[in-house]
Amino acid sequence: MLRRTLSRFSPRYPRSLTYMLQASEYYLGDYFEWYFKVANFRKVENVERLDKTKKALVIWGAIWLEYLAMLFAVIAATASFFPTLGYWPLAGIVAIPYLLPYLATIPVLTIKYLIQKPYELAIAKKLKEVIAGHPGVKIAIAGSYGKTTMREILRTVISSSKVVAAPGGSINTLLGIHNFMKTLKGDEEVLVFELGEYYPGDVARLAKVICPDIGVITGVNESHLKRFGSIEKTVATIFELADSIGKKPLYINAENKLAKAAGRGSHMFYSGFGCGDYKVAAATSDLTGTNFTVQNGAETLDLHTDLLGVHLVGSLVAAMQIGHTLGVTDQQLAAGVAATKPFSRRLELTSSKDDIYILDDSYNGNPDGARAVIDFLADLQGHRKFYVTSGLVEMGAKNREVHLEIAREITAAKIDKVLFVRTSMTEIVAEGLKDSGYQGEVLWYESTVAVHRALPHLTVKGDVVLLSTDLPDQYR
Amino acid sequence: MKKTIAVIFGGRSAEHDVSIITGHYPIISSLQATGRYTVVPVYIAKDGSWYSEPAMNDFSYFQVEDIDEKIGKLKKLHFSFDDGFTLVWSGGIKARQQKIDVVFPALHGTYGEDGSLMGMMRMANVPFVGCDLIASAVAMDKALTKQALQTEGVPVVPFVWFSRADWAAKNKELLGSAKKLKLPLFVKPVHLGSSIAISKVKTYGELENAIEVALHYDEKVLVEEGVENLIEVTLPMMGNDVVKFANIERPLNKTEFFDFSDKYLSGGKKLGGGGSLNGKYSELPAVIDKKLADKVLKYGEMTYRTLGCTGIARVDFLIEGKKGEVYVNEVNTLPGGLYDHNWRSVGVSGVELVENLISLAEERYNANKGTVYTFSSEILTKLDSAKLQRN
Repeated sequence: MLRRTLSRFSPRYPRSLTYMLQASEYYLGDYFEWYFKVANFRKVENVERLDKTKKALVIWGAIWLEYLAMLFAVIAATASFFPTLGYWPLAGIVAIPYLLPYLATIPVLTIKYLIQKPYELAIAKKLKEVIAGHPGVKIAIAGSYGKTTMREILRTVISSSKVVAAPGGSINTLLGIHNFMKTLKGDEEVLVFELGEYYPGDVARLAKVICPDIGVITGVNESHLKRFGSIEKTVATIFELADSIGKKPLYINAENKLAKAAGRGSHMFYSGFGCGDYKVAAATSDLTGTNFTVQNGAETLDLHTDLLGVHLVGSLVAAMQIGHTLGVTDQQLAAGVAATKPFSRRLELTSSKDDIYILDDSYNGNPDGARAVIDFLADLQGHRKFYVTSGLVEMGAKNREVHLEIAREITAAKIDKVLFVRTSMTEIVAEGLKDSGYQGEVLWYESTVAVHRALPHLTVKGDVVLLSTDLPDQYR
Repeated sequence: MKKTIAVIFGGRSAEHDVSIITGHYPIISSLQATGRYTVVPVYIAKDGSWYSEPAMNDFSYFQVEDIDEKIGKLKKLHFSFDDGFTLVWSGGIKARQQKIDVVFPALHGTYGEDGSLMGMMRMANVPFVGCDLIASAVAMDKALTKQALQTEGVPVVPFVWFSRADWAAKNKELLGSAKKLKLPLFVKPVHLGSSIAISKVKTYGELENAIEVALHYDEKVLVEEGVENLIEVTLPMMGNDVVKFANIERPLNKTEFFDFSDKYLSGGKKLGGGGSLNGKYSELPAVIDKKLADKVLKYGEMTYRTLGCTGIARVDFLIEGKKGEVYVNEVNTLPGGLYDHNWRSVGVSGVELVENLISLAEERYNANKGTVYTFSSEILTKLDSAKLQRN
């Protein structure tokens, strides 16, 4: 309590508020929920740092201006009415940091409603024209999870023969796409877009501007359930892409039950068994990558990718089918598959020093992703397996159910050691491990840093450590 | 309820600094990595004073120019043997106390590894990690170790030994008997580890000076024959009744024999993060003939049993490479860093190593509970005290 109070008077306080707004994606509900839980405002930047975008810098500057303006007002009042104000000036100075979090919303709302929204409205029509005028085939990807992975697979596989462009990072908003379009030369043959979904209507809004020629739905799960309120609303939001795309081809991940159920007969389904003309035979995966055989009529393709996990075979074969419809030959597609590499913090082998294998999957914070990596670990032979987790966030009403299911999967996969960062979510997983008869060892830590400090003392040659989700700062 | 483990390091020994390293890497760092123990660091200064504060769990606490000055500002630690081993911080209105469940000694050399601490722990009736008093005391004396092993038929190289007093009284005679040994010779203080003050003597002319150097550090000295076509190997072992072997390891001599700096400062390797102290100066596992390896394992276990080792120990061997002769050289009852790099090579992590050792300590403690040490007698009541006084 004392630390929370004192940290409000730190010079870092305005920056911390800015960071909290940015990390909450400027959603004030999330921001205030976090604000009321903070124990020390000097230490809110743990996992990430403030990204000094123009918007963040403007808000940061505005917060400082508000701070200084209030301070000046108190000093001016004190000077004018001295000594009649008694202790009121002191009370005023103490009150400033308590008012600041609320005043910080003024620049956010100003930018949102006076700049961003009008600007988005203004550019939406123009952006639609720009995209329509671009000769490239437009592919749009929607889904609760796996969008970036699918985007990168498509980009790499089709790039073996076509010029492909896609926004980098996690750019999936109107403004982001607008900026991306400005970078294009016009000779791109394929454009791949991710459609971000935060609230109902988001996917439809973006799809209306992009008018995709091909759609991909990677799956629907409990990610962001807290914001959507129900899984039905999440399904409906993701499938706004299906409504927008009409009779054009839409590829749906059939390995995801909700997406499969929501799909229609006219849609194309993909899975580890194949997609369209491409049928998958044997698929295996280990620490060196994934091998699978694809049959296209009389032709057999023996394929290898450095991507880990057979759960990605469905996405790879969907990318092959899409490439095939765009005129890419099988040999070129095979070369494209071979060029795919693990993506940052998504089941990425980050270290094999001393033959201890560290797999970073910390960006894969969703139930399907968790299930896929546990399956991957279960299939690994001859290794002791460690699973490090802080739990999954934003699971809403499904929180308990999702975490108990993860526990059952860990038990079934015979993971040797589970290293928990203590959170309300991992308490549930621990309970589930006990109920499901888990035979391995459970270790508890107060922070991810403590886990990383402990790992060298726990591991030996041949061990595989899966770093599952790391909690964003607002959930710590 | 977390167990409270006292890790004792430092000590009145030439290996004081090495002990601080062992105490932290791997012992404290591994215990902390489990999250299952309350770790109480106990530091014995070079003057024999005991101190403890939580900050000592961090190795950097000791990486200062003048540790004595820093330590001097702390309250000294006392202890109570009342119903177990309790640390006591005196002063203030009420002395602060901390009951210890298991003691984890990390003391190398004198007043620690030599059985002194083990005797104290036995008196306190607390489980402690590693070899017990007798094994520690015998293993600390290189001459006594060789005498015990010779008796049990374990091969050792020819040697002579004598005390400082012997040397003062009859140095020419002793020099003569030492000169009957075949060159090259090794002169060693019998109680010091980490190769401190050991000299290799290539001519008999160097012998007297080498003995003087050794006697400067110890009151007892060992002179022994060197081994030709030498292959040095070492074998860490762990267990009480059932002994588990780590890999046979071969030191890669940078100098003519292992010295202190080779062991602890070679390769400029950083401490911590599970990194090995010894990673660069040894061949692990040693590439030696299977017959030799079998002999090493056999004599290693015989040595462990002969000395009555429990918990952990490391046996060093000298091998005559051409003839295939294996000699036990010495026994170390608290290997530097517990040889955790070697244990990791056989799949035992730092955490598993320290937890196994704690289990073995408790196993031995519980087994000894059944031993009867006292019995009722009428000798005092029936004794004629007047008669006793007359005698």
